[in-house]
Amino acid sequence: MSLDLLPTLDYTRHERWLRRSTGSDYSLAVCDAAGAPCWSAPGDTTLASWITALNAGGFAWPSTGDGMQRHDAGDATLLYTPIIAKSGLIGYLAVRATTAATTATDVPFAWDALAEALEDIASTIADDCRTQGELDAMADELSDRYEELHLVYAIDRQVQDMTTGEDLFGELLESWASHMDADVAAFIKPGENLCVSATNLSAPIHNLDLVLVEMRGDLYRFSHSSRQPIVMNEPDDPRRAYIFTDMPFKILCCPVFQDKSVVAILVLLNHANKEDFSNSDRKLGEVLANHLSSLSRMHSMLAETSKFNQQMAAALIEAVEAKDPYTRGHSERVHHIAMEIGRALRLPPRELDNLFWGSLLHDVGKIGIPDAVLCKPGRLTRDEFTFIMVHPERSYEILRHIDRLKGAVPGARHHQEKYDGTGYPHGLAGNDIPYNARIIAVADTYDSITSSRAYRAGRSHEVAMAEIARCAGTQLDPGVVAMFETVCRAEPGWIAEFRIARDPVPAAAPVQVAVTA
Amino acid sequence: MSARHILLVDDEPHVLRVLRLSLEREGYIVATASDGNAALAAMAQQLPDVLISDIQMDGMDGRTLCPLARATYPDHPFLILVMTSMTALDERAWARELANTEFLEKPLSPRQLVARLSRHFAALA
Repeated sequence: MSLDLLPTLDYTRHERWLRRSTGSDYSLAVCDAAGAPCWSAPGDTTLASWITALNAGGFAWPSTGDGMQRHDAGDATLLYTPIIAKSGLIGYLAVRATTAATTATDVPFAWDALAEALEDIASTIADDCRTQGELDAMADELSDRYEELHLVYAIDRQVQDMTTGEDLFGELLESWASHMDADVAAFIKPGENLCVSATNLSAPIHNLDLVLVEMRGDLYRFSHSSRQPIVMNEPDDPRRAYIFTDMPFKILCCPVFQDKSVVAILVLLNHANKEDFSNSDRKLGEVLANHLSSLSRMHSMLAETSKFNQQMAAALIEAVEAKDPYTRGHSERVHHIAMEIGRALRLPPRELDNLFWGSLLHDVGKIGIPDAVLCKPGRLTRDEFTFIMVHPERSYEILRHIDRLKGAVPGARHHQEKYDGTGYPHGLAGNDIPYNARIIAVADTYDSITSSRAYRAGRSHEVAMAEIARCAGTQLDPGVVAMFETVCRAEPGWIAEFRIARDPVPAAAPVQVAVTA
Repeated sequence: MSARHILLVDDEPHVLRVLRLSLEREGYIVATASDGNAALAAMAQQLPDVLISDIQMDGMDGRTLCPLARATYPDHPFLILVMTSMTALDERAWARELANTEFLEKPLSPRQLVARLSRHFAALA
């Protein structure tokens, strides 16, 4: 480093000081370690040319002992002092003396002063170079710290903007691979069978799947037991005997902790010809691993909660359907069809979520209906019908306790309302009926017609469609019916899946269907 | 590929040092200046391929320097990167009228700066 600095400094004041302290108007030349002049006072080329000529003649700048040296060259003498820095010789200070006497003993007194002056100047220059070198080293450190900060800011910002899901890990990894200029970045959590990777390849990797297998296997196990970050740069690293054997990549692997045990690893991988992973990289890896620890925990909790929700809903539905074998599967089918309609209508995400739960749990209120009424094969009496009429309100009473399902309640509560206002329990009409309820109503009607009962077999899809078309505007919202017709025209898979009968001939006459529970 | 010249302008010597080191390592030829006037003098000596300038400086600040640099060399629309410390967001409007001018946030990430310059020169090629 000091060697590069020598030619860049300015020595005008050193020359001025030399002249002042010796009282003679010496010209000063600064030469590099090979003796080539790299500085002399601007406009003064005679000294530099003379030295160049000496070099060309084979002069090798010998030194005996410390301090000023002399080389007699005909009618003049080269007096030079080596500049010694911590790294060794970095150059020479040189002046030219014309002397009358040029023997070893007959030396002007002035040369003593000159020698001292040159030695002082040489050590000043050496100090200067050293300081510049130190400043450059500090600037390098600073540079590294800036990079770290940038990465931490970038990660933090990304995490703030994120929603959850596997995309979260994918996007973070892509960002990290790009920031760290790594070929592959991966997040592996075997406990949840999670292996997300992002590539930023500088050169192809043809066995990428093998690489990922290696990460999931040997590398994870090693990391799990050592609990320390692993930096593997050298091709002859002894650990390569059991990690990444025969795969000469550079590896940085940081463990991700949860409750003090390793649950995942964060891996950066580079081709062998790229720069080594540094200490700074390792520290950044640990920062990211900490972030991932929290994110991973949140991700698990969300997955847990979601699973719990689904299972609770399944349990509720089971409770209702356990009573009446003929309604088994009804809730799921209505739910499936309602969601198809909802997606086709392009409902916004929140409404779709409400429809999800509302349609799934719309009949939960049936739990309040006595078995005798629910499973009666014949026609219901007026009083028995009252129980049926109450069930949507029952669904509301049950579901309203769950804050998370508040948005889903209107769909369930009003699914028996009719478009013309003759429905129950509140007699709402037209657009006063919540949209989700109007959607569930269509799905519910379709399933009532097409599914089997104790007293009759399920009607065909065509009969159901005809009936629904007939009811559009009176019982059912015509807009929703139209969308349902569009969905069905595309012959969706669920028609066959739900084993709905088909007949090629359209129903001859509208069929009176008793709308039962 | 011929040598690329970068002119760094900032009144803080450590900023100049850090950036100069990173850029010289990448093979760029770097000149530095501590304010707008020195920068213009340096430009007269050697026209840069990229001008990287701070905004807040004594003497002539970056906000004066950049339009002046553009106006002085209309046939050489070198890239101008303005370093801002994000405390005065309203400062950016003036730069929108200048062609080929962008903002970078301090403290600069040397790695990102190098990548930005690589992209710039690759696009020119």
